[in-house]
Amino acid sequence: MKRALRGILVAGALACLTGAAPVRAGSDGPSAVIRQTADAVVAVLNDGALDSAQRRRRIEDIAYERFDFDTISRLVLGRNWKALSPAQQEEFRREFRSLLSESYGRRIDRYEQEQVKIVGERVEQRGDVTVQTKIVGGQANDLQVDYRLRQKDGVWLVIDVVVEGASLLSNYRSQFAEVWSRGGADGLLKRMRERKIATEPASADAG
Amino acid sequence: MRRAARRTLGALALAALGCASSRDPWEGMNRGTFWFNERVDQAVVEPVAAGWDWLLPERVQTSVANFFDNLFLPIVFVNDLLQAKPVAATQDVGRFAVNTTVGLAGLFDPASRFGIPENDEDFGQTFGRWGCPPGPYLVLPLLGPASVRDAGGRALDGAPNYFLPLAVSLGVRVVEAVNTRAALLEEIRQDREESLDFYVFLRNAYLENREHRVRDRVAPEDSAEEDLYYIDEKEEEQP
Repeated sequence: MKRALRGILVAGALACLTGAAPVRAGSDGPSAVIRQTADAVVAVLNDGALDSAQRRRRIEDIAYERFDFDTISRLVLGRNWKALSPAQQEEFRREFRSLLSESYGRRIDRYEQEQVKIVGERVEQRGDVTVQTKIVGGQANDLQVDYRLRQKDGVWLVIDVVVEGASLLSNYRSQFAEVWSRGGADGLLKRMRERKIATEPASADAG
Repeated sequence: MRRAARRTLGALALAALGCASSRDPWEGMNRGTFWFNERVDQAVVEPVAAGWDWLLPERVQTSVANFFDNLFLPIVFVNDLLQAKPVAATQDVGRFAVNTTVGLAGLFDPASRFGIPENDEDFGQTFGRWGCPPGPYLVLPLLGPASVRDAGGRALDGAPNYFLPLAVSLGVRVVEAVNTRAALLEEIRQDREESLDFYVFLRNAYLENREHRVRDRVAPEDSAEEDLYYIDEKEEEQP
């Protein structure tokens, strides 16, 4: 059952990635980036002077620092990215960034008792680096969370979070492709603006 | 006895059928079943689980989960053997012995404190290990996401239930389901709200997570991910 639980904790992905307050750019390797990020989040969570809204905003800022939203936005739309006008690209990037950061901010309180342990680092074929971590303690104990980082202007930034094999990038890509196939770029952007719950069957949506 | 054997055979046949390809050819039907499951969940299961969560302290819920994990261990053990994993099989025998006795019928998990690892196996994973692909995605009524392979696997995982009186077996499953659902209240609420298409969210997460578990939580070769991480390479080089 605990394993079944893990499968669904996918979206919890963001909760474990945590950015840092602005750090010196450049010199830090991928694992150091993840370590600092995790530590920074713990610091925010333990800061008794902050109320929960402030904490959430801090955490969102951390995500802003540590994710490469430009690259993520392009990859998550795949070939469809080129079909967007520059203005649409900008809007998509903005909406997606806020979706991810808010998701992360909302979740973080639930992961309070948990710690991030870095267990390994893997260099991918074309230069990306995956930092492998495990959650220790709490409900998500032993949860495997991998961060894929890519270097941009000398800084390592996160481009994907993979929780127990389920990739955040891949998951959003499937969802965006689905929405795109029904309503095109306009439908997708509208959808992101509204951000409604999608639990209706396809037939109902098509009608 | 004969009935159980027949169902077991049926499950195997279903699993064999699963050894085909394609991801979600039955999407229309699956979305219908998914829609039904969502209604049932929101009308009945989620409220009951919320009550359960309110009523029972977390420690009790953990013990209930431990109890069912322990009850499932013989199936894990069988699948260790089917996958030729003697070390894991030995660990699971030890874990079962410790938790059933010292752990008071599995309510507690002293085995983990003694450093006996918890192995995650079931028949679906065994079929995967044997080379059977997941086959079409399949949403089961009330039970949720599966693939054809895993649906067959689950029928076998539940085989011991076939020897129990129906009322007992149903009751046990309901308690397990409610207890599991109670642990996921927040998570599922947020997933529903943040996904653009919750059906796709669940399908993607389920399929990727299952293959990850078939591989015993070891990441695949990077080449398999080329398409996800690199697009239109030449133009992408200049940001």
